[in-house]
Amino acid sequence: MPLPIQHISQVSLEPMQLDLQPEGSESQEELSYTVDSPTLDLEAYAVCYSGFAKINRLLFIAAHCPALRVEALRMALNYTQTTYNTQAYQHIHSKLAEAVTSSSLLPDAVAGVVHNIPSLDTNWIEMTNKKAALKLEKLDTDLKNYKANSIKESIRRGHDDLGDHYLDQGDLSNALKCYSRARDYCTSPKHIINMCLNVIKVSIHLKNWSHVLSYVTKAESSPELTEQKESKENMVIVTKLKCAAGVAELATKKYKPAAKYFLQASFDHCDFPELLSPNNVAIYGGLCALASYTRQELQKNIIASSSFKLFLELEPQLRDIIFMFYQSKYASCLKLLDEIKDNLLLDMYLAPHVATLYSQIRNRALIQYFSPYVSADMHKMAEAFNTTVPDLEDELMQLILDGQINARIDSHNKILYARDIDQRSSTFEKSLAMGLAFQRRTKALILRSAMLKNDIQVKSPIVEGSNSSGDNVSASAGASPSHR
Amino acid sequence: MPEMTRPLKSTTGNYSKLCEDINKYLDVLKRNVANIDSVLETLDPQMHALGVLAVLNAKYSAPASAGIDFETLFSQTQLFFTTCNGEQVRFATDNYAYLAHFFTQALVQKKQPIRGISTLLAALAKIQLHPGQLTSIHADICQLCLLSKNMKPALPLLDTDITDISQESGHFDATSFLCYYYYGGMIYAAQKNWNRSAYFFEVAITTPSMAVSHIVLEAYKKYILVSLILHGKVPNLPKYTSPVVSRFIKPLSQSYHELSNACASNSPAEVRVILDKHTEQFTNDKNMGLAKQVLASLYRKNIQRLTKTFLTLSLADIARRVHLNSPEEAEQYVQNMIEDGEIYASISKKDGMVSFHDNPEKYDNPEILRKIDDQLRECMALDEKLRSMEQEISVNTQFVQKSTGGRGEEEDVAFGSK
Amino acid sequence: MVYTMSPSGIPSPEVYAKLLTVYLLQNDLNNAKYLWKRIPAASKTAHPELGNIWSIGQHLWTRNFVAVYPLLTQDWSDEIKPLMVALRDAIRQRIFRLIGQAYTSIEAEQFASYAGLQVDEAIQAVVAEGWDYDSTSKVILPKRPVPSKAPPIPSEHHISQLTDFVTFLEN
Repeated sequence: MPLPIQHISQVSLEPMQLDLQPEGSESQEELSYTVDSPTLDLEAYAVCYSGFAKINRLLFIAAHCPALRVEALRMALNYTQTTYNTQAYQHIHSKLAEAVTSSSLLPDAVAGVVHNIPSLDTNWIEMTNKKAALKLEKLDTDLKNYKANSIKESIRRGHDDLGDHYLDQGDLSNALKCYSRARDYCTSPKHIINMCLNVIKVSIHLKNWSHVLSYVTKAESSPELTEQKESKENMVIVTKLKCAAGVAELATKKYKPAAKYFLQASFDHCDFPELLSPNNVAIYGGLCALASYTRQELQKNIIASSSFKLFLELEPQLRDIIFMFYQSKYASCLKLLDEIKDNLLLDMYLAPHVATLYSQIRNRALIQYFSPYVSADMHKMAEAFNTTVPDLEDELMQLILDGQINARIDSHNKILYARDIDQRSSTFEKSLAMGLAFQRRTKALILRSAMLKNDIQVKSPIVEGSNSSGDNVSASAGASPSHR
Repeated sequence: MPEMTRPLKSTTGNYSKLCEDINKYLDVLKRNVANIDSVLETLDPQMHALGVLAVLNAKYSAPASAGIDFETLFSQTQLFFTTCNGEQVRFATDNYAYLAHFFTQALVQKKQPIRGISTLLAALAKIQLHPGQLTSIHADICQLCLLSKNMKPALPLLDTDITDISQESGHFDATSFLCYYYYGGMIYAAQKNWNRSAYFFEVAITTPSMAVSHIVLEAYKKYILVSLILHGKVPNLPKYTSPVVSRFIKPLSQSYHELSNACASNSPAEVRVILDKHTEQFTNDKNMGLAKQVLASLYRKNIQRLTKTFLTLSLADIARRVHLNSPEEAEQYVQNMIEDGEIYASISKKDGMVSFHDNPEKYDNPEILRKIDDQLRECMALDEKLRSMEQEISVNTQFVQKSTGGRGEEEDVAFGSK
Repeated sequence: MVYTMSPSGIPSPEVYAKLLTVYLLQNDLNNAKYLWKRIPAASKTAHPELGNIWSIGQHLWTRNFVAVYPLLTQDWSDEIKPLMVALRDAIRQRIFRLIGQAYTSIEAEQFASYAGLQVDEAIQAVVAEGWDYDSTSKVILPKRPVPSKAPPIPSEHHISQLTDFVTFLEN
């Protein structure tokens, strides 16, 4: 009997074991899937990101795309050598070695040579660790001196520098601690914003989304940003905040607010390589909007938006998808969506949501398709959605049950009919149900007041086995009505 | 003996004094059970109701060694309950209830529960001030009805909503209250009156609790099953439910929650997996019958869902969508549900199609108007009751004192309903 | 009261048999089932007719009408016999009501087995009921039963009720 359950848990356990890492820098809830034929230009992709974002994104691609695995790992490895993150270096190196062996038929040593895998640079590791320790010591002493002299501004900077250093080493939790400590030494709104940005940056990598959102709010309420909107510097900051909040909402499956944040990003001031690229903004924002916006909202906020148009220019396929959707060309829209799916599955923030977003987009399309009709031929509808009539019937059934389409299916003639509700009857129905509910509630309350009046209360545990008979009724009640 | 029978035979009008006097003699009575029948012969249930009551209670509490003949005692009790002076016994509601409990337990022990039902119904009618008053005899009657599998006599009691509880000199306690609602819920479940059954179990579950009661625990398990049969899901319990329920009762009913989750999937297969997995627990709890009905109701619920989405659907498609084995089985289900008024549909065997209809009720005929009238009247009666309760509370000195200070829970309940 | 009849709480098997049949006649299968459960085993063995009655109840429980008809025509005791005739009529009426409600078309053969009739008898019966029969496809086309009209409420009474309601609802 428990077989099916065991089965399921095995399936979900295996990928975790494969992905199990010494440091666990990747999320544990990742799904196991592979993308076989991506159209991604890895070189161009990697160039858009820096720091942790670059490493994590490359690792994500390596985990899900065998074709790009070796190249992605190699790039990530090279990049780590520009940082103090020796642990990541070692980790990536072992992954790379593993990837090469598993993708090659040659024996380990030979494969390493053939694929030109750099050998583990222990020298560099030692050097870097030493340098990092030295730097840490220096920063620490500096900070102590500042504190001794109680120069607020220097102490704040000292904390920030220390935080930057920890981040460079890949120690997120210490980085967060240092950045947060700077908070007490902020003397101007600018400082506060800076502190917020630092905390947000680290929290994103820690996947602490509620933290991200609360610091975004905190930063946005600063007078610096509310009053001097136009300055270039502030525009960059605001765009960073919107993007961070968008990613946080996306990660928590709140697609509509996510879309709203991304749509507020300014194209000319979009510079946030530690998190995402302008292309990402276009994709994240566009898909979330498609999945959650009504036709009117789409028109107003995307199609007619001159600023988001600039983002969309970066992703012409998505732009076409959105326009086709708006023009009710669902078949080609859904087909194009399918084409870009593989690349989306290689994006670490979007991948877990692709299936949900796609089904929501499809549902929206179905709803929108039917909205002007009193009845619709399901054969034609199936054609418009690239599907078969039986599959369409299943989809429509779910939508009707969820209350998203108010219609009924004539399965005999394969026609979908809009449902018109007899207001009078349904009002009668509702009021009768309400009357009954009122009666039930009131009776319970009258009884309850009698209970309280008589102080009826279960006080001490009722002793079991006091019943005088072994019959089932009183035995299952656990108490006998006699001998009080 | 003579000095003992004196108070028993007293016919003074001061019954509360008499009750006290008699209670003092109880031990003497118990010591002399052997020849107590001779005393009984001199007493008349009409004139000396309190005396007879004391003697009978003494006989029931005698040890088995006293060799009391049960058949004699049975007919003596029966005679007493049917002929005693109602006015007098109201002064000893506690002893009166004791006698009913003794009587019940004796019959339960002898496995002859059915013999006591009509006697206790007569006993109840005599002691109740009005039909809406709950006494501890209620639970006895329900227990006898359940054990004898003769539920019908309990229904008039259960159908009357309780508005008031007999104090029985402070001896009415939570156990008889819980038993009444627990047994009542079971009787309604046996009658397949799921709505009322769920209500009774809910009352038992929401009884104010400081500790875990086995009755509440069992009521909770049955409440889940009955709710699943009735609604296909378990509604939230009212806000006033004691925290004990969520803290201790819920964790003790894990298998039932699993069943409820399986139902939420609408998949008979998943429900069956849970039923198999927890067969032992359900059987031990004597809930397997209800649990199986949960599965049967799921098929019906799924067919009802289809009526919301389809205008027409073939029998074969119905069978496929709700996981029945054949179009014939689907036809049987649809036919039964139409007969039971659970769906509105018509089957055409010409092409094997089923057409689903809306509720044909147009709310324009005298019959439905009468129903609405009845409901409105019921609401008005309840409203009236609330008013009088409010009135009562507002002139209660304790309440006036309290409401000038802090407000207690009791008043919140009364006001909350307005 | 009741005890004069059976102080022991156990009535005669004949009483049980009648009560059980009447429950079936009322289509109160739930209570019939509990009655069957509480009839003492001794009565069941002494009076096999009880078991025969209950086997009808079991088929009614699963609504297996086809299996019921042959059982109805057993050699019943004189007391039960008229009740069984009434039961057969009641079941047949129920079938007409059910089929009229649930079907727009049904094979004559299927209907005949539901009604416990020969096919030609069944066709005669449905035509008498005002239903149509399509002899080429051998399909019966039932008509929905017309709901009986309840007597209207006298208007004066109605007005006084309405007054009460309005007063209540306005408060």
